[in-house]
Amino acid sequence: MSGQKKEFPITWGMVIDIDKCTGCGACMASCQTENNVEPQREASNKLRATSWMLVYELTNDKAFPNHDIAYLPRPCQQCGNPPCVSVCPVIATDKNEDGGIVSQVYPRCIGCRYCVAACPYHVRYFGWYDPIWPEGMEKTLSPMTSVRPRGVVEKCTFCHHRWTQAKDAARVAGKDPDNLDDGAYVTSCVQNCPSGALAFGDIKNPKHKVHELVKSPYAFRLLERLGTDTQVYYISRREWVRKLGDNYLKSE
Amino acid sequence: MGLDRRAFLGLVAGGTVGAMFTPIPWKLIDDASIWTQNWPWIPRVPKGQVDYVATTSKLCPAGEGLKIMRVAGNPILAGGNPSHPLSCGGVSALARSEVYMLYSPARIKSPMKRNGKTFAPITWEQALVEMAEKLGAAKGAVASISGDNTGTINEVLTALTAKLGSAGSFMMPSEATTAAKAMKLMGAQGQAGYDFENADTVLVLGADIFETWGTSSRNRKAFGANRPAGAKPANTYVYVGPSRNNTAAVCDQWVPAAAADLGVVALGIAWHLLKAGATSNAPGFDTFKAVVNGGFGPEDVKRATGVAPETLAAIAKALASAKAPLVVTGSPFGQGLGAAPVIAGMSLNMLLGRINKPGGVYMLPELPSVVPGALTRAAMLDGDLPAFLKGVESGKTPAPKALLIYDANPAYGLPEAATMAKALEKIPFKVSFSSFMDETAALCDLVLPNSLPLERYDDVATPYGSGFCVYSLVRPIQKPICDTKTTGDVLLGLARKLSIDLKFDNFQQVIKEKVASLAKVSGGFVAKDVMPWQVAAGKPAPALVGGDLWKALEAGYAWTMVGQAAQTAMGFAAEVVAKAVKAGKPATATVLAPYAQLRTGTPVTGMPCQDLTTVPDTELLGDTTFIRVNSETAKTLGLKKGQMVKLSGAGVDCQAKVHIFESVMPGMVSAPLGFGHTAFDYYSQGKGANYLSLAAVVEEPGSGLSMWIAPEVKIA
Repeated sequence: MSGQKKEFPITWGMVIDIDKCTGCGACMASCQTENNVEPQREASNKLRATSWMLVYELTNDKAFPNHDIAYLPRPCQQCGNPPCVSVCPVIATDKNEDGGIVSQVYPRCIGCRYCVAACPYHVRYFGWYDPIWPEGMEKTLSPMTSVRPRGVVEKCTFCHHRWTQAKDAARVAGKDPDNLDDGAYVTSCVQNCPSGALAFGDIKNPKHKVHELVKSPYAFRLLERLGTDTQVYYISRREWVRKLGDNYLKSE
Repeated sequence: MGLDRRAFLGLVAGGTVGAMFTPIPWKLIDDASIWTQNWPWIPRVPKGQVDYVATTSKLCPAGEGLKIMRVAGNPILAGGNPSHPLSCGGVSALARSEVYMLYSPARIKSPMKRNGKTFAPITWEQALVEMAEKLGAAKGAVASISGDNTGTINEVLTALTAKLGSAGSFMMPSEATTAAKAMKLMGAQGQAGYDFENADTVLVLGADIFETWGTSSRNRKAFGANRPAGAKPANTYVYVGPSRNNTAAVCDQWVPAAAADLGVVALGIAWHLLKAGATSNAPGFDTFKAVVNGGFGPEDVKRATGVAPETLAAIAKALASAKAPLVVTGSPFGQGLGAAPVIAGMSLNMLLGRINKPGGVYMLPELPSVVPGALTRAAMLDGDLPAFLKGVESGKTPAPKALLIYDANPAYGLPEAATMAKALEKIPFKVSFSSFMDETAALCDLVLPNSLPLERYDDVATPYGSGFCVYSLVRPIQKPICDTKTTGDVLLGLARKLSIDLKFDNFQQVIKEKVASLAKVSGGFVAKDVMPWQVAAGKPAPALVGGDLWKALEAGYAWTMVGQAAQTAMGFAAEVVAKAVKAGKPATATVLAPYAQLRTGTPVTGMPCQDLTTVPDTELLGDTTFIRVNSETAKTLGLKKGQMVKLSGAGVDCQAKVHIFESVMPGMVSAPLGFGHTAFDYYSQGKGANYLSLAAVVEEPGSGLSMWIAPEVKIA
């Protein structure tokens, strides 16, 4: 771990209600298209495919009929102490921006993949292939996110461009861009989730729903005992889900 | 003056220190890094003015309203429209793909005519001449199949088919066709609509309401709205079915029961309700009561299904004590269910007094037709396509001389695919109005590409499952990319060529007339500040202000109405239930329990390219799909994790790998649908197997309906 926790007056965070997630993949599809992740012919190869948002299937490891499952959407956890930052030799990734979003500067990335190795959440993706769209489909590229070349590590940015747009919209409306209304800035996955399982906002802003949600007794963070102090929270009323989230051993 | 050793070392040390502190090497690395990423084949993002326009998803059967982001007039992203009652801002992975499918490699770029085993491009005029000639010669024996059960296009298609001398107009089988048959047998009027928004206890018998069943995006929004994160849910959902699918995963309780036993479970619950004093004035109640009491007691149900008596009793108690209980019955994979389980499930709603009540089942009236001579939706849903094609294949039914196929892929999307393909081969002239080169189009004589929803006028009228009547507009937000046409326009042009009067010159006129007719329907309003479920709960419905409905629809709002078709004879259809629902012994053979997901597309779309990533590697790995069995079944069948097996059924073999998954009932083989395409593009083609082809079609006793809910398979 970096051991250097930085505080930000605005701390964007996501809260995912696992008890509502049906594992449909709409968040993944939304993320891919919003952020110009190319369609991948061999996407079943999860070691080489790119998916900034990935839905994992959790199980309680019991046999029928006591078996239970849950789905866990996993964007970048935007750690308070990001393990990826301290290992980057070229400072391509950093946590200096407002909002506590871990940045990734693609042109500076040399593709060494130290960050991939350091991330305990597997949120960082190395581009193994040239980003090629079927003929004509490049016309559907979003102008908000650059296309990353092969050989670069990429990851979820909490749709950072949407924050910029929301701040601009606030300025135009004569509002304070540093005090956005709840919902003025949400990520693509949050916006499009058909189950309403995902919420997004400023964790430090009492006017935002997530401010209260993170205090829920059912809220937890992934691998919390690593001390990464992530900004993505999960909620489940099922104890086995919460325990699995922190990788409890059976003996614990 | 020479360079001595001391000076030389000093120079080296100084140079080293200097190199460490100068930014030059770092800058060079940075520049080299940028330079090596700046290749000409890396696409540049578009520039231009960004705007948003509204339309409705037609590729996704859930009928979500969409907001499309455009850059310089080109559609870029599809997101959920927060103002649309079937979307509420959510969108499925399939609806999200509307934009990208415009450029799918599988798109048919121009009209094509079969030339031996291949196709050759022809002009639209040549295609019309060819069709007019062939259909004129086939008069009296022209059939049609539609895969779109929400569009006004069906009025044009069926009216034309009728004028040509109909050999049958069919809808692709779905939950809507099954439910329509059940409602007809019950003597009910209208389409069953489920008010999830106002229900507090929901019993789901089989239907995957949070994945492919009906208005699934809206269903999930309604579910989520009453379940605040981290707090006690305001409603309860119980799922009964063969596996813990995407729907059961979030329900409060999963009750394992075979899909073939859904009717038995329903009658087992009815037994408890009747015992507790439930009664009804509806026709057939006494017979129904006798049937239930005669063979569906707790022990009967336990013996047949394995569902414990206390489980059934608890469900019945929860339903009876709820303020707004609701029972939803359907197939776990969106098709193949018989009418009797739907009748049995609907009987529970009747016993609970939930017909046309908030939080219950609304019997929704059909919206007015505008094309003279068209079949009503109810009449179209009444056709039994698998039975028809099986009859054609066996020679029992005369093969039509010509077949028009709109937005449907029966060669892939029907059970017993091999039989259906043989039946299609017997029809001498086939025309496919498809946007993509699918399995059926590949068998046809003419392929006349339909413009995609973002390129055409179309509409979505009350998708099955919606709890209210709803109508929304699909409108072109860009010109057709390829040489395609709106099929409605092509059919109307064909009618003109054949001197058939269908009243309209182009399809936009048809849609405009439809909208004009809705403006006259009493009780209709634009869902904007007030949503239909609020009206169902007692809020006054707003007036249809201004009357300019077309503008409101173009802006992305939906016309809606809390409808109640008058019921004069809705009964229990107990005689059908008595014949079709039997609490027999559990199946001893291995039973296929397919599951469906929107991310694998529909038979018409294939797998949307961006959605392939969303498929987990426990479902598709390389070109092989997985079947799911629990460890007990695996042990019985001698299967191991990752083993390649061959599944056989209906004269077809399919390959699969074994995935041990404990949330599947013993004796069941859970298999994903949507894979195994032989057509489409490299995102769909050759990926896995089509397990629906293993399902044999049988006739349901009592209703005569084709069903394939629980086919037996062999595993080797």
